[in-house]
Amino acid sequence: MNQAPAADPETLLMQGRERFAAATSLSELDAAKAELVGRRGALTAVQRTLGGLDEQQRRDLGARINAVRAALAELEAQRRIALTDERDRVVLAAEAVDVTLPARTARRGSLHPIHETMETMVDVMANLGFSAVEGPEVETDWFNFQAMNIPVDHPARGMHDTIYVQPPNPADPPGSVLLRTHTSPMQTRTMLAQGPPVYIAVPGRTYRQEAADATHLPVFHQMECLAVDEGLSFADLRGTLAELCRGLFGPGARIRMRPDHYPFTEPSADVDAWVPAVGDWVELLGSGMVHPNVLHMAGYDPEQVSGFAFGMGVERVAMLRHGIDDLRLFTDNDLRFLASF
Amino acid sequence: MRVPLSWLHHSVDPGLSAEQLASTLTLGGLVVDAIHRPTAGIRGVIVARVEAIEPVPGSSKLSLVEVFDGREHHEIVCGASNFGVGDLVPAALPGATLPGGVGIERRTIRDVVSNGMLASPRELGVGDDHHGIWVLDADAPLGADLSDWLELDDAVLDLEINPDRGYALSISGVAHDVAALTGADLRLPETPSLPLGTATGVPVLIADPDRCPRFSVTRIEGVTIGPSPAWLQSRLAAAGMRSISNVVDATNHAMLETGHPVHAYDLARLVGPRIDVRQAIAGESVVTLDGVQRELDPGDLVIADASGAVGLAGVMGGAGTEVGGTTTDVLLEVAAFSPAAVLRTARRLQLFTEASSRFEKTVPQQTVLRGAARCAALLTHVAGGRVAGTDDVWPHPAVPEVIRLRTDRVRRHLGMDLPDQRQAELLESIACVVAPSAHAAAGASGPEPDEGVLAVTPPDYRPDLRIEVDLDEEIARLHGYEQIPERVPCSGRAGGRRPEHAARRRVREVLAGAGWTEAITFPFIGPADLDALGLSPDDPRRQTVALVNPLSQEESLLRTSLLPGLLRALRRNVNRQAADVAMFEVGAVFLPPTPQELGADGGADAITLPAEPLLLGLAACGAFEPLRHDRLARPADLADVLGAADTARRAVALPPLQVAAGTEPGYHPGRTARLSLDGTAIGVIGELHPRTIAALQLPPRTLAGELRLDLLTARGARLPAAAVPDPRPPLRFDVAVLVDSDVPAAAVESAVRQGAGPNLAECRLFDVFTGPQLGEGRKSLAYALRLEAGGGGLTENDEQAAINSIEQAVRSRVGGRLRRDDSAGAAARDQRR
Repeated sequence: MNQAPAADPETLLMQGRERFAAATSLSELDAAKAELVGRRGALTAVQRTLGGLDEQQRRDLGARINAVRAALAELEAQRRIALTDERDRVVLAAEAVDVTLPARTARRGSLHPIHETMETMVDVMANLGFSAVEGPEVETDWFNFQAMNIPVDHPARGMHDTIYVQPPNPADPPGSVLLRTHTSPMQTRTMLAQGPPVYIAVPGRTYRQEAADATHLPVFHQMECLAVDEGLSFADLRGTLAELCRGLFGPGARIRMRPDHYPFTEPSADVDAWVPAVGDWVELLGSGMVHPNVLHMAGYDPEQVSGFAFGMGVERVAMLRHGIDDLRLFTDNDLRFLASF
Repeated sequence: MRVPLSWLHHSVDPGLSAEQLASTLTLGGLVVDAIHRPTAGIRGVIVARVEAIEPVPGSSKLSLVEVFDGREHHEIVCGASNFGVGDLVPAALPGATLPGGVGIERRTIRDVVSNGMLASPRELGVGDDHHGIWVLDADAPLGADLSDWLELDDAVLDLEINPDRGYALSISGVAHDVAALTGADLRLPETPSLPLGTATGVPVLIADPDRCPRFSVTRIEGVTIGPSPAWLQSRLAAAGMRSISNVVDATNHAMLETGHPVHAYDLARLVGPRIDVRQAIAGESVVTLDGVQRELDPGDLVIADASGAVGLAGVMGGAGTEVGGTTTDVLLEVAAFSPAAVLRTARRLQLFTEASSRFEKTVPQQTVLRGAARCAALLTHVAGGRVAGTDDVWPHPAVPEVIRLRTDRVRRHLGMDLPDQRQAELLESIACVVAPSAHAAAGASGPEPDEGVLAVTPPDYRPDLRIEVDLDEEIARLHGYEQIPERVPCSGRAGGRRPEHAARRRVREVLAGAGWTEAITFPFIGPADLDALGLSPDDPRRQTVALVNPLSQEESLLRTSLLPGLLRALRRNVNRQAADVAMFEVGAVFLPPTPQELGADGGADAITLPAEPLLLGLAACGAFEPLRHDRLARPADLADVLGAADTARRAVALPPLQVAAGTEPGYHPGRTARLSLDGTAIGVIGELHPRTIAALQLPPRTLAGELRLDLLTARGARLPAAAVPDPRPPLRFDVAVLVDSDVPAAAVESAVRQGAGPNLAECRLFDVFTGPQLGEGRKSLAYALRLEAGGGGLTENDEQAAINSIEQAVRSRVGGRLRRDDSAGAAARDQRR
């Protein structure tokens, strides 16, 4: 630092005007500012001489120093604005990156559409006050068929194409153990375990002995729902189904019911849904009022309580919701398919 | 069931279009799958008589046929030769249209002008016969419009009939429903009754009245076998049946109309003649009408004569007694068989016929004679002859059961106000007899009718109506399901999932968020899958539950591990050039139950069911972080799969799982971790053994793992206790621990944590270093620590105290020491921070 005799403030102002104007970068401006008005700068040096002056001189010089300091600050600020603009124009422009390069995210996984659809179905039923319960996939003939009012010789057994299991206990009769053909066995399991009222939704995996093709799978998923209470009616079934359809297919969805036959319900109904995204009626599920024999076998008195039940295929709902037309996509586990969910 | 409307209209005509009627029936419970119009659109085809047949010069096959339509003569070139002068044939004159819109024009063939064409049945949409020109009945009305005469401008409803609506496998049954659903009048064909109790010359013995409750035979003598009249041929064709002969066609017509399968025997070919309805005898066989020799099983019910079985009851008759060209005397069988008996035989022989499809859905006993009478009348009408006798064996005639219907109960079950009167009318519309209940069943309260109770006697064509709820359905469907209101019930409680279910959902969601893709595989495996995993013969996963009728031998067992399915899915993706895979599956495995792992309750019979523990399976290969423009690819390694396990446990707020080196069949012996929670084994994660990889044709370094998800989620997602941040600045410092290379990192960290004491808030390994300056067989592990004060603030003294304590713990627990000169660790840290 220059230890030459202190210059007068006005000279420093002149120097500052030149130096600030000459600065071509913010760092040069910083340097000039430090030399002139910094703690060890020239103007500060002049200020240090004040102590040796008498009162009047000190007041005069002090006033001049303050005026010059303010003027220099003003000059420096103006130049700083100009240089900052310059820096922004040049330097930041040079730092530009391609903002359209791919974003960096964590590795992407996905949930299987069948399980997700099933959970969505459970969500809707849970909102309607139903509790989700799950049962074993390997079942007894009694729970799967007989308790569902399908005795051994019943014609409906032909439609079920059951996969039978070697009983784990060799002492149990052949044919007594099977892969459940529907999630309905949980109806009786639940009713045997608790008294009414019962409001359950049973999601789960089910099995049929048939070859896989675009419209059939040997392993598939269902959600069974059962409500048993005092005074439940066909109107309650209709209302519940209508809400479920709206929950799954949007507020524009509605249902149409027509008579059908199931051994475990009477009256029985097939339910078509108007799916707005499809723009047509589609066959959705089977339903009905719980057959008195089913209530009776579960230890309930059909004179005291009544109920409704329905079972719907998860794959069917997933196909309608996601626009899928080949069931085998669900079992293929192709990452290109799964990544779309 | 195909229902030609022209046929239906003979019994009931509601004046609806086919489409309107189809919709009404579908919503009423008889689902119309399709509407066919095989013979619709025929115009300008007339009945004409062949007057002369001349050869066309230069053609060996063509002839010029002169026909007369009653007013004019026409010359038509024809390629068929199955007719003669005097025959009546369908002639399509120029301007005529055939089904499908085919137009007929005057054409010149080999210099001869053909004024139209003569048509085969197939060209007219009447069945498949295309062997020649359709030769019509000798008394067909000359010059008549064929379509008008045979009612060919018709629609055919294709009905899908449910098992409980066997009555609708008949025109008369459908007519009943049409009348009930539309209010139109029902006029079923009237039939003269049969001379009951007259000798047929064929005694009938029912040995098994449970499976054959009723059996009638009707003897008809003097029939003339020949082709059926055109109306019968076209009607059967519309209903989907082939015309065979007048006698056989009459039996089929009767079946389609009444729902009663009828079988006609050639009386001359019955041996005895007498008829037994009995079980088949072991070793017995019969050649059925389709020419196939059927070996019989003692469970089959057969019709037999003195020579043995001549038919499978309710399924198919025998070839040996079949009606043929020389038949003159016929025995008609109309019977009732139990659905189970017929279904059993049909299923065993995979022989599903028009007859069996009706019997398996219950053919009513009460109306057997109506079917027989209708068939006899039709048969004598189309084939001549006379009814010579009828025998009806019905050991235990069924009495119609009266059903008590509580009308208030109906209103409650349907959830709508339906007055008693309306309920009664609806039931009467399907021919139920409805009366105020006289309380006849109990008989206690005398003759006073029960208030609000109707005594309903179902009509005899409806054996499906047995109990009160059956009538609920009839009332509901006849009134219209769509007329019943919609109401949402209140369950009176909040719905939702069980804790373990909610926790499982959370684990799945968090894993997907961490980069893992969920798969669902079939839970079937084969023995080869277990071999490929390298399992020893006594491995518990070889204790499988087997299927009796698997989809294939490669899928003959229920899985005991998720890995075969998951690794198959991984390999399939790799083969499709998706090399970077990280998949998980949540699913049950199936194990024979043990006292520790019980199966589900087997019910009153105490059937043993397998245990179904729920596992989380993991499989990964290729890059876990794929190559990007700003980053190299990073191959998946053990830490990624361990990370999935940690992600899963964090999702349910469990404390960290304990990880220890271990071995497991199928896995790399040096790269396998066993995981546990509070001493309970949770699972195994590791790189697969190169031999497993080779056996399963997987990519090198494929990783896998299986965890007991049911144990992790057993108590649901736990509620984490909140960590309250200390407002004072924490103390941060690093330590580097020098230990022997074979000391597990987990042991070192445990020692560091213990030494750091209760103020430790974070301990993160940021460097593992080996190098010559450390000496052979040594490694340095560097940890970044954060201490937060429990009470007062922390000072440099606290740091030194912690370091001293850590040093002591490390020395005593893992034989290590702290590195004072930590330049390597610090450099690594500075780079990574």
